[in-house]
Amino acid sequence: MDGTLPGTDGTRRDMTVQMLTTKAEQAILKTFEDNAAHLPGGKSVAELRRAAIGAFASKGLPSRRVEEFKYTDLKANLREAFPLATGGAAGADTAHGALGSHFGPEFAANAVAFVDGRGVSSGGQAFLADSKAVELEWVQAALADESLAASADLLLNTALFTDGAVIDIPSGADVADPVVIVASARDNGLAVLRHIIRVGKGAKVTLVEIERAPIAAGLRQSSAVTHLAIADGAEVVHIKVVEAHKGSTHLGHWQVRLGANVSYKPFQLTLGEGLVRNGLNLDFTGQHSTLDFGGASIVHGSGHADSTLVVDHKVPHCTSRELYKTVLDGQARAVFQGKVIVQPGAQKTDGKQMAQALMLSPDAEFDSKPELEIYADDVICGHGSTAAEIDPDLVFYCTSRGIPTAIARGMLIESFIAEAIEKVEHEGLRDALIGIARDSLAT
Amino acid sequence: MLEIKNLHVKLADEDKAILKGLTLTVPKGEVHAIMGPNGSGKSTLAYVLAGREGYEITDGDILWNGESIIGMEPDERAAKGVFLAFQYPMEIPGVAGLTFLRTATNAVRKRRDMAELSTPEFLKVVKEKAAKLNIDFEMLKRPVNVGFSGGEKKRSEILQMAMLEPSLCVLDETDSGLDIDALKVVSDGVNALRSPDRAMLVITHYQRLLNHIVPDKVHVLADGRIQRTGGKELALELETSGYADYTGKAA
Repeated sequence: MDGTLPGTDGTRRDMTVQMLTTKAEQAILKTFEDNAAHLPGGKSVAELRRAAIGAFASKGLPSRRVEEFKYTDLKANLREAFPLATGGAAGADTAHGALGSHFGPEFAANAVAFVDGRGVSSGGQAFLADSKAVELEWVQAALADESLAASADLLLNTALFTDGAVIDIPSGADVADPVVIVASARDNGLAVLRHIIRVGKGAKVTLVEIERAPIAAGLRQSSAVTHLAIADGAEVVHIKVVEAHKGSTHLGHWQVRLGANVSYKPFQLTLGEGLVRNGLNLDFTGQHSTLDFGGASIVHGSGHADSTLVVDHKVPHCTSRELYKTVLDGQARAVFQGKVIVQPGAQKTDGKQMAQALMLSPDAEFDSKPELEIYADDVICGHGSTAAEIDPDLVFYCTSRGIPTAIARGMLIESFIAEAIEKVEHEGLRDALIGIARDSLAT
Repeated sequence: MLEIKNLHVKLADEDKAILKGLTLTVPKGEVHAIMGPNGSGKSTLAYVLAGREGYEITDGDILWNGESIIGMEPDERAAKGVFLAFQYPMEIPGVAGLTFLRTATNAVRKRRDMAELSTPEFLKVVKEKAAKLNIDFEMLKRPVNVGFSGGEKKRSEILQMAMLEPSLCVLDETDSGLDIDALKVVSDGVNALRSPDRAMLVITHYQRLLNHIVPDKVHVLADGRIQRTGGKELALELETSGYADYTGKAA
């Protein structure tokens, strides 16, 4: 001991690291070191990954102190991180199995399918792991989009994605059949996908992303980030179905940019007893575009479903509509965060959102947080939120007509959630979604 | 036959008695009217017959065809033939009228040991009955009662009644909110259901409904009891004298 306290400083630093880094975070950092050399992409992508994991290491998984994750504390909830899934023996059938019985064969026929983080069936699209696709200039630009460095869940995706769909819908194309992306993974693995989609001027397309684990599945972890740029005058319907079971986690995020005169109709259905986060960040960058968002979740037992939207009206004359509905039983929890930013000058913005929860149990929890940041003075913005039990008067009305109580309740619950699903105009898709929701309600 | 014996009812969460020894008998094939001032317990009687929660029967009994129904759930009563046409029919967003009608019709038929109606059979019957009630078939594809006018809601109630073929029809203020044309359509619908096998209890504040649905007997309900029973002319008498004789004050 000479007064400079040799060793003390180092010891203290070690302790700090131990206190700040959870087991899951350590596992993610190790996963990166173990796999970095083999992850797809050229030099520039490798640099992006390095930067992302560096930023992730300093931020860590978001805790409830991070406002966007206030109700979804990943640091506390993600106890461990599974090893990275980097492809396996399973073929497209496994992925198609994730479509389940409600999607007709036409959905499987052209699906872009992923198993264990690797593309197994391209459905005529390109894979991000393909060196030619990843080197495309517009794909490189999408990968480098700084908004994907905003939070730790996205950094994790950038650092570790093993594959994804690269979909380029040409200007003026009118794509008749939905473009389906379906992902499946084995148990006890972490599957990380990045999809990059570009829709050209005036094109019309329906995109469907499906990530469902079969009932008998074990624990799974997945991250899927979709980067979607929609050019002027295009009409895009964008559906996501996530089913995660107890102990499983899915972190999803859509980063969307709308040009002018765009119609964008996203719909997200979340089911099960897992931990699911669906982020949607959308920028209006051209005038007279509309966002018509629908979300529905059916959360059981100890499940947790989070839908967090950030809608940025950067330009005037755009309309945003958001309707989110959730049915909660047991100790299930749903989170809806809807942030609407109206930038200075974004006059005539018309933004409305509604979040509604049907609480089937006194122990369920619904956290609804609308946020309006308005910097323009000629705008219409509104929000509403409700949380209620099944209306006993309606149950009485049904039972007084001879409908048994259980059926009456089922009918009322289904009608509640169906109101959101009915926003989906494609009949085959809507029927499939209603069927999937009905199955979930029956369990 | 409906037999209500010395019925005492209070609100479940309040100590306020509403029905205080109501006794009433309605034989099959007859239509009885219950008239009374506001607050006399008319709607409570309707709800208690249908089995709504929130009421407590502290004494007495309700027998339908000799069987006590007070311990039965509303759907069991419906299966036994009890039907309440609501004063304020409820809106059910998200449930299409046809789905609701078919679910109810087949649930009741199943419990009556009747064959469930297939979709084509069901649609044929609904179309026929809806037409008689001037109900636009397209309206039935919309959610139950959502956006319906007062008159449309009442006709929709009578259509439900016609589909469920109840043997005890309780009509709670079916005339409220109806203009004269709608009143006639609704009354014709009710009269078409009059039959020797069916008992009807028509609850109303005003006499005018009884010009269209002519009752066999009229009972005056005030202060939770039947105060007087008479023929159809009693309704006319009440129209001129009001309920003051029964409440001690002008109604």
